[in-house]
Amino acid sequence: MDTIIQTQDLTRRFGGLVAVNGVNFSVARGEVRGLIGPNGSGKTTLINLISGVYEPTSGKVFFNGEDITGLAPNRVAQKGVLRTFQIPRLFGSMTLLENMLIPRFADFSLDYLKQRGAAEERALELLEMAGIAHLSGHQAKTLSGGQKALLQMARGFMVEEISVFLLDEPFAGVNIVVKDTIMALINKMASEGVTFILVSHEMASIRQMCQKVTVLAEGSIIIEGTMDEIAADQQVIDAYLGGGA
Amino acid sequence: MQNKTFSRSLNFVLIGAASVGILAGPLFLNDYWQHIMIVSMYYIILAASWNLLAGYTGQFSLAHQTFAALGGYASGLMIYHLKVSIGVGFIAAVLVTAGTGFLLGLLVLKMRGIYLAVATWAFSESMRLSIAALYKFTRGEQGLAVPSLFDSLAPIRYYYLFFALMVGLLLLMYLVLRSPIGSFIRAIRDDELAAKAMGVDTVKWKLFIMTFASTIAGIAGFFYAHYIVILSPVILSFNEIGKVVIMVVFGGLGNFAGPLIGAPAIVIISELTRDFGSWNMVFYSLIVIVIMRLYREGLAEFFRNWIQKLFGKKPAQNNPLQE
Ligand SMILES: Nc1ncnc2c1ncn2[C@@H]1O[C@H](COP(=O)(O)OP(=O)(O)OP(=O)(O)O)[C@@H](O)[C@H]1O
Ligand SMILES: [Mg+2]
Repeated sequence: MDTIIQTQDLTRRFGGLVAVNGVNFSVARGEVRGLIGPNGSGKTTLINLISGVYEPTSGKVFFNGEDITGLAPNRVAQKGVLRTFQIPRLFGSMTLLENMLIPRFADFSLDYLKQRGAAEERALELLEMAGIAHLSGHQAKTLSGGQKALLQMARGFMVEEISVFLLDEPFAGVNIVVKDTIMALINKMASEGVTFILVSHEMASIRQMCQKVTVLAEGSIIIEGTMDEIAADQQVIDAYLGGGA
Repeated sequence: MQNKTFSRSLNFVLIGAASVGILAGPLFLNDYWQHIMIVSMYYIILAASWNLLAGYTGQFSLAHQTFAALGGYASGLMIYHLKVSIGVGFIAAVLVTAGTGFLLGLLVLKMRGIYLAVATWAFSESMRLSIAALYKFTRGEQGLAVPSLFDSLAPIRYYYLFFALMVGLLLLMYLVLRSPIGSFIRAIRDDELAAKAMGVDTVKWKLFIMTFASTIAGIAGFFYAHYIVILSPVILSFNEIGKVVIMVVFGGLGNFAGPLIGAPAIVIISELTRDFGSWNMVFYSLIVIVIMRLYREGLAEFFRNWIQKLFGKKPAQNNPLQE
């Protein structure tokens, strides 16, 4: 199995609280991995650790076998590991199109002069897929919650070398139509070889899209397997009911 | 998109008209008003470069006037102590302001908002007090004599020099804003963490813009010093940055045209109200408050809406340099 993301005894403390506790986690290239767990179980913290937003208290993160622990988020992104945020973080005063172009030209080089036309076309194509192309000239802060989620996701795909996309609750607060659009986008990019780690409370979507699911509780992995295996597991049921493992 | 083309051609017409007006200025302006124009052009450069920090990057620096002063002092002190030529003085001004800008950038790298404002204010005060305290070296409050660039002190040559300087530096700033760097700094202003997560090297671009804006202020300060031919720590005072802030906010923060309108407006208003002594500060503060109350986006936006109303167009929503 070709591992693309791996963590080794990854731990992050916040004062006395251990948000992520000795996590050994690995994801194969091309996988759409589900990451679930009760509120406060450490899912977002794990995403923050992989994407470089937080430095681990101890442990390591590997991407394609390379140690990327402690790299700044922009360096991690430049390597092709992108992420979204649970609450969408956009460039509010910039237009949708400008938002899309930021990651595309983030590695500042003069070839943007030549590439700009093609990049704008690609941006509009992605916005079209996301169903928000008609708003491309509007400021991002004028979007609705669901549209923000769509833009945040489409923006990541502007990175040509994207190989891993970490999605933190992409379905939170979006309606069924938007949810289908997001799922279609994920499926399309997955078929093109992008690896996904999908954090979500939407069990139906996770079941539909993920071959394998990892369950976190109180900062540790309690089980990994197919959705059916997990649903039958007593530990998972206990964790979700708040009883502890 | 028609609006965009329209507002762009409108901009060209306005810029063309203003340039012709300024170039023809000395034909009908006396020395005194030529001087006022030179001061306005100096402040346009200062305000436009401060706008890069406060308006576009979201770094509300209160140290910008320090760099203009450093540009003047670097050159003036080299010439005074080492008898170097004005050309060498210019190089010193660029190196000192770029270097100091970079260091200040490092100092405030992790700061935002009010913390950055306070830290930059403290920096500029300590520079001012140092220059005053080191009077044996800087001549302090007595003033440092700086040679004139031309053999005559008549303003006309400076007038055209400052015009060329202003056009050149504004063009440079415009090009930077149109390049991806312009998008990076606006992205940093809107959401720094998101910019990082999208691969933007926020550390590099924050340092770049601080160094760049500081150097521009330094260059403006160099020429201004060699025009007014005497330097004292007064030009580092809080009043100076206060003026720059008012100019930009009055004209339109984060709007390229803002400082171009705000700086001459404030210079001229304060000149016309000069007879009221220190009351003039109160006077134009009141004007600023009124404008801010009616038009938060500043005068540039006010004029835009007004002109567009005149031509029956809806305001364009989309000029990347407008926000
Ligand atoms: N920056 C921080 N400072 C202090 N504590 C934090 C910080 N970030 C997360 N935590 C704590 O770490 C724990 C895990 O939080 P995390 O956000 O990773 O959970 P989550 O699984 O994403 O939850 P949710 O499903 O609600 O999004 C929580 O107890 C949280 O309070
Ligand atoms: Mg979370």
